[in-house]
Amino acid sequence: MRAARATLGFLRSQPFALVGISIYLLFLVLAIFADQIATHDPRQILFSGAYRVARYLPPSATHYLGTTAGGRDIFSQLVHGTRSALTVGVTAAFCVVFLGSLMGLLAGYLGGWVDRIIMRLSDIVLGLPFLPFVLVISALTRPGTVTLVASVALMLWPNTARVIRSQVLSLRERGWVEAARVTGCSPMRIIFVHIAPQVAPLAALYGSIAVGWAILTEASASFLGFGDPAAISWGLMLQDAFANQALSREAWNWFIPPGLCIVALVLAGFLVSRGSEKLLFPKLGD
Amino acid sequence: MKRVLGRLGHAIFVLWAVASLTFVMFRLMPGDPTLNFLSESFSEEMRAALLTSFGLDRPLPEQYVLYLGSLLRGDLGVSFLQKKPVLDILLDALPNTVALTVTALVIAYAFGIIAGAFLAFARGSVTEGIAIPAALITRAAPEFWLGMILLAWLSFAWGIFPSSGANEAGSEFTSEWARLTSADFLWHLVLPALTLALYLQGLPLLLMRATMLEVLNDEFIVMARMKGLSRWAIVMRHAARNALLPVATAFALGLGSSFGGNVVIETVFSWPGLGRVLVSAVQGADYPLAQGAFILIAAVLVTMNMVADLLYAWLDPRVSVGARR
Amino acid sequence: MNRRSVLLAATALTALPRLPALAQGAPGDPIRPLVLLTRPQAAAPAAYQAAELIAQEWRKLGLQVELRPLPNQQMSQVVWYERQRWDFTMWQMVGRPERGDPDEMVYNLLHSANIATGYNFVGYSNPDYDRLAEAQRSEMDQARRAAIVREVQEVVNRDQPYAFLVHPVNLQAFNKQVFAEGSAVNQAGLGIRNFWNWISLQPTGRQRDIIVNSTEPVKATNPFYVSGAPDSWVTDLVWDRLMRVGPDGLPQPWAAERVTQVDPLTIDCVIRQGMTHHDGTPVTTEDVVFSYEVPGMGDESPMYKPFVQNIASVTATDARTVRFVLKRPDAAFRIAVLAKLNIVSKRIWAPVVQDYLNRPQNLESFVEERPVGSGPYRFVRSRVNEEVVLEANPNHWARPKADRWIMRIILNTEATLGALRRGEINVLADYFGDPDLVKTMARQLPNMIAVREEVDIGFQFVGMNLRRPPFNDAAFRRALSAAVNREMMAGAAWNGQAVPANSMVSPALAAWHDRGIEGRVPGGNLEGARRLLQEAGYRMVGNRLHYPSGVRETTTPYQ
Repeated sequence: MRAARATLGFLRSQPFALVGISIYLLFLVLAIFADQIATHDPRQILFSGAYRVARYLPPSATHYLGTTAGGRDIFSQLVHGTRSALTVGVTAAFCVVFLGSLMGLLAGYLGGWVDRIIMRLSDIVLGLPFLPFVLVISALTRPGTVTLVASVALMLWPNTARVIRSQVLSLRERGWVEAARVTGCSPMRIIFVHIAPQVAPLAALYGSIAVGWAILTEASASFLGFGDPAAISWGLMLQDAFANQALSREAWNWFIPPGLCIVALVLAGFLVSRGSEKLLFPKLGD
Repeated sequence: MKRVLGRLGHAIFVLWAVASLTFVMFRLMPGDPTLNFLSESFSEEMRAALLTSFGLDRPLPEQYVLYLGSLLRGDLGVSFLQKKPVLDILLDALPNTVALTVTALVIAYAFGIIAGAFLAFARGSVTEGIAIPAALITRAAPEFWLGMILLAWLSFAWGIFPSSGANEAGSEFTSEWARLTSADFLWHLVLPALTLALYLQGLPLLLMRATMLEVLNDEFIVMARMKGLSRWAIVMRHAARNALLPVATAFALGLGSSFGGNVVIETVFSWPGLGRVLVSAVQGADYPLAQGAFILIAAVLVTMNMVADLLYAWLDPRVSVGARR
Repeated sequence: MNRRSVLLAATALTALPRLPALAQGAPGDPIRPLVLLTRPQAAAPAAYQAAELIAQEWRKLGLQVELRPLPNQQMSQVVWYERQRWDFTMWQMVGRPERGDPDEMVYNLLHSANIATGYNFVGYSNPDYDRLAEAQRSEMDQARRAAIVREVQEVVNRDQPYAFLVHPVNLQAFNKQVFAEGSAVNQAGLGIRNFWNWISLQPTGRQRDIIVNSTEPVKATNPFYVSGAPDSWVTDLVWDRLMRVGPDGLPQPWAAERVTQVDPLTIDCVIRQGMTHHDGTPVTTEDVVFSYEVPGMGDESPMYKPFVQNIASVTATDARTVRFVLKRPDAAFRIAVLAKLNIVSKRIWAPVVQDYLNRPQNLESFVEERPVGSGPYRFVRSRVNEEVVLEANPNHWARPKADRWIMRIILNTEATLGALRRGEINVLADYFGDPDLVKTMARQLPNMIAVREEVDIGFQFVGMNLRRPPFNDAAFRRALSAAVNREMMAGAAWNGQAVPANSMVSPALAAWHDRGIEGRVPGGNLEGARRLLQEAGYRMVGNRLHYPSGVRETTTPYQ
């Protein structure tokens, strides 16, 4: 209860974080109730008569944002796209946080050869170009959400791991960690029970940035033709719009909304991280 | 000196690891490189001959040794489709990518540093209230989306800038340098470089602002101010110098990472650079070319990571080599 | 006997003459879920949209159809090398000048000799078809050959190994402020993207370069290796051939002044006087003989090797005559061989060939610093993702009207249109985008943009794997084909930029095309498809289509 009140108070003092959280909540609602909110099946080709596909319809009461060149309802695609964006963003962020924290904790606490191996690994990953790696992996395996999330997680964990590691390095010298060690706690117990909760907020901060990275990466990969062909995502919507020359048709209703949704969701991650940065490192901002 | 050598050795280790990883990645590729040649006249024997000519019928360990050996000699193999040495193809595209990346980074950092410093002063103002979210938004927007919209307005609709490519059709130049410095090339460069710069400026801006704020609160600045020095003099003498460290490091890192990240911008503006080479090679399953482009991009990244480290250590001797990002 | 069976028996008796299948008892197994392979939407938007539309129609027949988008490479891998594995696939044949002769489409695609590893990946085997496909090859009389080719199309229409969809219509445009409108030349099946147009376009003002777009990069400029369509547009201009496919789609003499058929196996070509290579040396009969010998040496030129396999000998009988002796008569020899192989300089290539015969690589890997041909344009330079530049050859007897021919590589469709509007390109020759936008532009800029449309030689189709039931049943294939509304395909998938197809010979090849065949698909429409299935014994149970009585489902679904 106190925690909830503290959070609320924090949000009130941090308008950035408040806006970010609100955007997240809005998209979460859209994703959960996508089936109810969408007016059509986003995949279905709609007809406006016998064998006449309902293509390029302008926005109207039946099609809030009109239809695509292929005769699909744009609004419904946009709503369903929320699901894939959140899935990609949240799972990627979760993987980054998990992998990054685990590596950072182990490297920082155990030190020695474990530390050296993990740091070498992270150096190698930092030497791999991000987007090219994702593209090559998508091309090598079957392109899909799993591939994408996995490659994003694989590429982003070192940043988190490094920060967590340096945090752990300072924590392990603290008295209470020393005390736990003296009382005979196993290293694993110290790492996961005593230290992990301390670094969790920091990891979450990196997670919220990873949400944005993952969504932007999905969009870029889709634009270049390496997206999950079966998914309904904002990136694929944009790809579809550009391939069908929505710009030349001045079909703003088609290519502006998905772009804005991406901006909003990625921005939310930045805002949350900026807001909570002040909570975590009060010295830094003010 | 010892530090530099140590860091160099480290970079070489990373390069070796990246090269090996690349080898594994590309050998595990499903599908068959000979699929590009399917036609009515394509036979099994021709397929076998093709595989032999690229050494793909040998056992993997042997292929690996051969691969590392040729890498050391700077031989990246021959493109499946173009049949030309991969290195030549990459070197053809390299100047365009370098020009685009460097121009965009310079614009982004020049703007970001000035705007960031300004915003540090304008703390709590309306300008700041608008500028910070704006900077965040440009970083949150997909580059290709921004690029396509800019292209639609400034090129297709108003006809100001060219729609594609790096030079006007059929233009002749005496040398590569003459080409890169020609008005024609620079005119083609404007839109892609601006789009990339728009995306990149957020980081130096925020970084500059944050460091400036930190420095401005430091005691010695407060002291200086009490001594009656003008604000501007203080900034120039102390704050900016301190802020240089993280910004310069970020610049070096940015150079490395946006080198490969240009893929998207190059596609939108039909810019004949490395990213395009990589994408079309991957799409066409032109292994040797895709592999070569990937390794070259990675090599630049690793090098710039190393430069960033050394720069950091050089500008701030308190910090040991190794901690970054 | 209960009431139900009495009723059944009565119905059976009355209905017997019309619907014999009804009497045969319980339906067979339900047909397994079928997987339709297609390239992803991003790679082939029209074909993908078509696949979705087709799947929607086929589901109405009670089939469970799943779309499986696969990247180019993987799709080719499955279709080409795992021939037992897949059910049906979206596929296409593209138009090329030498496909102006029907032989390539008629013989290679569906002849049973090509089932194991060749182009007959659907596994169609019909002795009648084979006999006709072979007969048209050796029939030298044009009228009789055309009759055979039409007969072939009828056989294919009956058996429907493919569900043909459409022949694309090429939409092209050029800037008539730069070129005299009347100077543009159209070639049957190709439109203005053809050799004749490139040498005929007449500049009227200061801009004297032809600047044409390509959506694909040029990979190689090599007379013995072509790795994609844009490559062939370039080699076409740089190297001359003995004959060329004319604007009417028929072969005509080119570097050969005269081509005479001495007897069914012997052809004499008299080459023009005074022709020179781009390096100034004369084009000799020795060069010609050499050019036809090289592809037959080892595996030096796999792409061209098949075209010289039927040549028993090629010799220079005098200073200007080259004699070809064939192993068997070949009606398509002029168009498929004489108009296809490039004439190279023996002086340049003989040492190269010698060198490569002792190397593991073949001639395809040879990169000429600056390719030397004898064609109407000379090679200047090529940058892969940027442009290819050729310049007019002032010494050529058919000297181009333009000064240079430049091909710009632009991947972005929007940018391609922008470039045309801004004058960065002046011929739009390679366009798969929205036709309305080009037509609108032409309406807005009536003094600048001229639009040309031409039905393509190529076609789009669904290939059905005849190795796997139920596709081995012609009746089933006929029904599937009938259920496809081709008008809708052309309109909703190909943006109206296509015409319905039901034959591998395009209406662009008027002399060979079986006129009206697109209106004679057995069954005709969805209702017809249902009737065909009913007649063949297939049954709907619930909303799932079942095999005829007694047929078990033994094929494993595509994974």
